[in-house]
Amino acid sequence: MLLLRQFRMEWKLYARDRVALFWTFAFPILMLAGFGTIFRQGSKPTLTLVVAGPAAPELLAALADTPVKPLVLAPAEAQARWKRGDTAVQLEAGRLRVNTYLAAQGQMAAQVVQQANLALQVGRAGLAPRFLPVSMESPGSGHASNYAAFLLPGLLGMNLLSMGLFSVGMVNVSYREKGKFRRLAVTPLPKWVFLAAQILHRLTVTFLQAAAMLLVGHFGFGITNQGSYVLLTLVLALGAACFMAMGFALSGFAKTSEGYAAISNAFFFPMMLLSGVYFTLDSAPRWMQQAVVALPLSPYLKALRAVFNDGAGLDGHGAGLAIVAAWTAACFLVAVKKFNWA
Amino acid sequence: MIEGLTPPDAGDIEILGLDWKREARAIRGRIGVQLQSTSLFNKITPREALDLYGSYYPRSRSAAELLDLVQLTDKADAFHVTLSGGQMQRLALALALVNDPELVFLDEPTTGLDPQARRSLWDVVRRIKAEGRTVILTTHYMDEAEALCDRLAIMDHGRLLTAGTPLGLIQELAIPSVVELAFQGEAPDPSAFAARLGQPVTGRADLWEIPTQDPKALLPVLLEAAEGVPYQQIHVRRATLEDVFLHLTGRSLRD
Repeated sequence: MLLLRQFRMEWKLYARDRVALFWTFAFPILMLAGFGTIFRQGSKPTLTLVVAGPAAPELLAALADTPVKPLVLAPAEAQARWKRGDTAVQLEAGRLRVNTYLAAQGQMAAQVVQQANLALQVGRAGLAPRFLPVSMESPGSGHASNYAAFLLPGLLGMNLLSMGLFSVGMVNVSYREKGKFRRLAVTPLPKWVFLAAQILHRLTVTFLQAAAMLLVGHFGFGITNQGSYVLLTLVLALGAACFMAMGFALSGFAKTSEGYAAISNAFFFPMMLLSGVYFTLDSAPRWMQQAVVALPLSPYLKALRAVFNDGAGLDGHGAGLAIVAAWTAACFLVAVKKFNWA
Repeated sequence: MIEGLTPPDAGDIEILGLDWKREARAIRGRIGVQLQSTSLFNKITPREALDLYGSYYPRSRSAAELLDLVQLTDKADAFHVTLSGGQMQRLALALALVNDPELVFLDEPTTGLDPQARRSLWDVVRRIKAEGRTVILTTHYMDEAEALCDRLAIMDHGRLLTAGTPLGLIQELAIPSVVELAFQGEAPDPSAFAARLGQPVTGRADLWEIPTQDPKALLPVLLEAAEGVPYQQIHVRRATLEDVFLHLTGRSLRD
């Protein structure tokens, strides 16, 4: 079948384009891995406790379940390390030394050791100590315990945006500019077959890309979709439709690739920077938050995060999704009106 | 318009006995078009491009046969981006033939090619003619038109100026020869000289051109009139299609 053949060819040629593959698959994963690792606030940090000389084995055993990892060194070696300033906290001869330069880590570790020590003493006295349970949560996104969990849906949205504006919009402008459309127009290939194959290809790329991100999120950072996968797929499909329509619409306004770059960047950068892809805008001025809500990415990401991070439905996101749907419809109409082949 | 890219403002276009308005798909299936520039994916190979475009038609010729026709067999599996300008144009030509068309449109197929690549493209066009297809070729190169065309038409500003065989047009013009005075650098204004000679003189770039029926009689008069004119060389040449074009349009060649 013609459409299938055209679709397969799109994939075959795409798979040869290493630059496109890098930006589509490797780059978002690198972003996620990079930023996720740097801002690993929620995951358990490991703190090193230098133990100079022999230490009570019960205490070391009691620390096994804590983020504090004891490092037992000979006294001379431990002193040298301390002098170099590499040690945040050191246990020696029954006392804790905390390095003022590394007070944040040192004090935290010292407290953990202190607590373990207290628990040991209480235990020896025949009492079972009970600690108050502690859970770490980020308000507004219930289960997103670390930055990577916040970032992942943001990057999914970003991918949709750049797919629409660049893989669809930019590509169509350059096809028109280089006369590729004209060459197709003199063949009997129906135009819709070409466009449908292109759209199908971009959609499959988008969903593969999202799947790759979810896998890396799951195995690399322990982040999983908290909501239903059906809902997530629907929300992703809506985003793909919205930003692809936007790419088609914008491509009707530019004659050259340079012209298109100017037009598309006017949409791309405000959305990328101000829609809460990388950080939330809760502390931004009110007017800015309101202005940004008019662009589709911001309400879109809110809905996406509600599903992905909070495991919630889309209740309360009706207005936001209506904005996205309105953009989709408007872009679609403009695309149909303005899109031309030559 | 004849290729079906632009709808006509008025009137009908009938081609191969079919009407563009009603039978566009059927026409597209029976014509082959090489556009001025053919853009393909950088990383498609000639063989794949021919197979792909062939799949758009109900009937298509095999890629191997077409590659052989345009002498690209040894580049069959190289990425498009690695082909030379001449090879790309030959591939574009092969693509125009993929549906075994009765009518082939070639739009300035040799523009921007080096002389060797042009000659090898001409050979391919001659082979297409020999296969019994009708080729409609547009070009700015009059030598190309003279070398390849059985019949030709000269268009200017969208108007048809004349049509005929190349030789017929040259003879019709009745200026068998042109005397050229070549200057070093820009040629000066020829009007004073034309007045002395009593003959029209056209100046363009570094040349004065004096059309004549009888170079033998003109030359002595011309040499005398040219006394003191700082020209470098003098040539006599037989009229070509280029002269027909210039005579008809009254201007120099342009886009």
